[in-house]
Amino acid sequence: MVTPVLRLTLRGVLARKFRILLTVLAVVSGVAFVSGAFVLTDGVKSSINGLFDELRGEIDLEIRATIAFGDAARATRDPVPTSLMSELANIPGVRTVEANILREATIIDTDGDPLRSSGPSFGIAWVGPDGLDGRILLEGEVAQGPDQVTIDKSSARRAGYEIGDRVTIVGPTGKGEFSLVGLTGTKSTSGGGGASVSAFDPETADTFLGANGFADSLYIGLDDGVDADDVIDEVTAILPATFEVIPGEQSAEETAGAINDIIDIFGNVLLGFAAVSLFVSAFLIFNTFAIIVSQRMRELALLRAVGASTRQIRSMIIGEALVIGILATALGLLAGLGVASAITAVFNASGAAFPSANLTISLRTFLVSLFIGLGVTIAAAAVPAVRAGRIPPVAAMRPELGFSALQRNKRLIVGTSTLAAGLALLAIGLFVQPGGAAGTLSSSAIGAILLFLGIASLSTTVAAPISKAISNILPVPFRPMTRTVPGRLASRNAQRTPRRTASTASALMVGLALVSTVSVVAESVKKSFTDQLSTSVTADFFVSSSGFQGLPPAFAEALAEVPELTAVSPFRATNAQVNGSTKQIGAVRGEAFGKLVDIDLREGTIESIIDGAILLHSDPARDLAVGLGDTVEVTWQNGTQSSLTVGGIYEDSSIAGNWLVSLETLSAVSKAPPTDFFIGAKIAEGVSVEDARAAVEAVAVDYPSAEVQNQAEFQQAQEDQINQLLSIVYGLLIFAIFIAVLGIANTMALSVFERTREFGLLRAVGMSRKALKRSIRWEAIIVSVFGATLGIVVGVPLGLSVAWALPDSFITSTQIPIGTIVNILIASIIVGVLAAIFPARRASKLDVLESIATT
Amino acid sequence: MPTTEKSPKSGPSTTAAGAVDVYKIYGKEDSEVRALDGVSVEFAPGQFTAIMGPSGSGKSTLMHCLAGLDSLTSGSVTIGDVSLAGLDDKELTRLRREKIGFIFQAYNLIPTLTALENITLPMDLGNIEYDQAWLDTVIDAMGLRNRLDHRPSELSGGQQQRVAVARALASRPDIIFADEPTGNLDSRTGAEILRFMRTAVTDLGQTIVMVTHDPVAAAYADRVVFLADGKIVDQMDAPTAERVLDRMKRLGN
Repeated sequence: MVTPVLRLTLRGVLARKFRILLTVLAVVSGVAFVSGAFVLTDGVKSSINGLFDELRGEIDLEIRATIAFGDAARATRDPVPTSLMSELANIPGVRTVEANILREATIIDTDGDPLRSSGPSFGIAWVGPDGLDGRILLEGEVAQGPDQVTIDKSSARRAGYEIGDRVTIVGPTGKGEFSLVGLTGTKSTSGGGGASVSAFDPETADTFLGANGFADSLYIGLDDGVDADDVIDEVTAILPATFEVIPGEQSAEETAGAINDIIDIFGNVLLGFAAVSLFVSAFLIFNTFAIIVSQRMRELALLRAVGASTRQIRSMIIGEALVIGILATALGLLAGLGVASAITAVFNASGAAFPSANLTISLRTFLVSLFIGLGVTIAAAAVPAVRAGRIPPVAAMRPELGFSALQRNKRLIVGTSTLAAGLALLAIGLFVQPGGAAGTLSSSAIGAILLFLGIASLSTTVAAPISKAISNILPVPFRPMTRTVPGRLASRNAQRTPRRTASTASALMVGLALVSTVSVVAESVKKSFTDQLSTSVTADFFVSSSGFQGLPPAFAEALAEVPELTAVSPFRATNAQVNGSTKQIGAVRGEAFGKLVDIDLREGTIESIIDGAILLHSDPARDLAVGLGDTVEVTWQNGTQSSLTVGGIYEDSSIAGNWLVSLETLSAVSKAPPTDFFIGAKIAEGVSVEDARAAVEAVAVDYPSAEVQNQAEFQQAQEDQINQLLSIVYGLLIFAIFIAVLGIANTMALSVFERTREFGLLRAVGMSRKALKRSIRWEAIIVSVFGATLGIVVGVPLGLSVAWALPDSFITSTQIPIGTIVNILIASIIVGVLAAIFPARRASKLDVLESIATT
Repeated sequence: MPTTEKSPKSGPSTTAAGAVDVYKIYGKEDSEVRALDGVSVEFAPGQFTAIMGPSGSGKSTLMHCLAGLDSLTSGSVTIGDVSLAGLDDKELTRLRREKIGFIFQAYNLIPTLTALENITLPMDLGNIEYDQAWLDTVIDAMGLRNRLDHRPSELSGGQQQRVAVARALASRPDIIFADEPTGNLDSRTGAEILRFMRTAVTDLGQTIVMVTHDPVAAAYADRVVFLADGKIVDQMDAPTAERVLDRMKRLGN
């Protein structure tokens, strides 16, 4: 038997299909972000792990240099001499030993441009499909000798090459031309999982890739039935102390683990946006239910009068929320699959060639989505449900007794204390920063949520006066709307139910507050960055890499020979430990760096690094309590320890970072193949900018990933990067604003429904359809401008405090983006117009007589 | 399976409902309004009583207080032999479900439920098993047999009020309160509803208390109680429309 509460719930949902659908839509996007994040990260992880598992092939053991600290997969390791190979091959049980060489190598496509891919481009040593790794030959032959190469099939296709073509490849030693003899892939993909791979025979790789007798690591394959542990002992016995031997599985797991971490960061960003859009949806759900409850007051009171208990009424409302939650979760899970496949498609279109990421909804994805979808809906409907239960039965006959008078004082107290708690948590999160990044983030996030809730609750008090003020001001250049009847009605209607106006505006407030927070922070970062850049950069040219791996050192060496330039210095960096904590130490050419970057040196000389000294920023100098002439103990990644004399202390870390040594100091301790982050160059006296640029470009021709920029272009490029990041953030926040638009549309539609009789009356006494529509549109605009104003009032100080909380090396000056704020206000007017389209149309179509007859 | 909630203790009683010295005062001091000013009244079982009075006489308030829908300032109200004083919201809800039936002037039915579902709603809400034979009797007496699957929006005003009467009767309550049940109907349909209510009292033995300002409607009752300024000012047994109208005219002065 269907219980009456269940029956009433389901009928209630069916009777309000459209409203329910709008509410469902609001929740769907949040759930879709959540499930999409999980589906995508699960899918990509499993395919990446699968790919690495395939690539591991039959590698039983791997020999590599040890590291003193840091992440196993991402650390820079010294190379392993290939001279060890013959000795290793003689160990009983060892079937074969291969050199693993992997260096940056870019394929030049048939148009003469470097082949772009979403992953790295590299060249490797490959003995062929019979070798240890999992690469297979899809077509043609294995490359043999110094004139042949194989390329992964997907890169060959994208570059326009076929077997037999001559292929230009740029490697660490420069440009080379090879004959394409074969196409490679793995079992599950014809590409390299986003990477483009050129494979050479081991001897060619050794010379062309600049390995010169050293491999990144050595692979060992064992005879069948041999116990790896026995061999490990023997291998260890002949290895020098700075090398280690590990099982092949471990190496694959470490690499996959490092990539999984990056994928997780991406997933967490998506989850962050899920949280924002769910939070905004919660306002919409709350609002919808609050209005539905007040509209159904007589019905609910009647139910109470004929014997429904408070609990039954509450369960009925919660039941409706449950239906919405279930629908939204189901749709959200499906939409999540859509989100994940869309993102995969975008990546694949840019050449990532994910090994057919199988997107599936795991049990965890399902449970988390269900919990969030239902949780948010029910939590948001809880307060309206409690209020519904409190409707006295007598309201069935006397609706004016329906709700007890607004408890303004109580709301002020609750709102103020929520706001205060939010501000306190936010302040703790931003400025005290307890428990590292996680503590800072969670404390600030909870603080922000409480802050928003507090403002939303308090905004009820100011909704009426501010709505009045907005309607008196708008539209500024024309006659204020309050001079016309539709405008006056809109203004009064917005003031009539301040509670509804406030909660409708709240959803938009949250979305726009986040937009203004982000834009304040971003503008401040941008300003600090350009301020620093313009004062500290003295180089005329910057060369940076458009690829993943930086520039080969040969490029800087070639530039140094160009007579049109006086000072050339690359900037490279490595991780090292100072006083037990890991730091990034930069390496530059001591003779030239001072002419390229003004690091605001306070003591000592830049040239001191030529003699092996270290320069450091005043912050670490203060922390370590060292001064000029003191020594700093540095442990490099490979375990080498150096005592470096402090040769100078500087103030500007924007380009140089906190620690600087010379290229020679770095190469003396690190055998790992270096790459340069960027190269700075200054024009020689008497040479024109055009001539110098032509000379630099002439060298750059051989290095396709190099991008030559002058100062202005370099600054612009850095700003573009920030802008690009910003546009992604704004793009995702648009979802939250979209939900807010839905919310305003929903509230307006409900209000129209509620005022049917009033509209009938207005039409009867002579108001035109057009004027009626305008009145509703104006009301929506007042509500959304109110929301935007609140959003800016909350968001800008929030952004400023985040900017102040960020370290000085990141932000030195704050900037309020007036342009963005004006845009937000204009956008909010558009939001109002959009949200009013449907409700206004509906109101104008009402039949006059029928409307008046409505009770 | 449904478990019948225990109802407040009850037994045979000589009155279906009663009020003793009931006051209902709104506002304070200067702005004080005495909606009920010391009302004492009893309603015998199996009787049809009409409460009459001009607007603002307190007749609706009296009914709301008798039915446990509104609270008293002082005095006591009993339904059967249960005193409403000291009952909490839960107990009042159960009392309304099991011992009281309601017929309102308008908005009597839940729009999303069918006629039959509306009729059985109070019993469904309380998980009370219904007496099918009695339910059939009521449905036939109200002439609703062919309308049971209809939603309220598919019924005429008179049919809707008949469903409301049937709902009030279905659980065989101790007493039914009707608040201007014909106020929204034309005179012919109104007369039909009043005949149904008369039938419910005469043939089915129900007790009905009806608030009305219409002398014609009051004439269907066994007894009329006249209220003015929150006080009972007169009573009339076996009323006719003329006599009631006559009495009302004098009240008006």
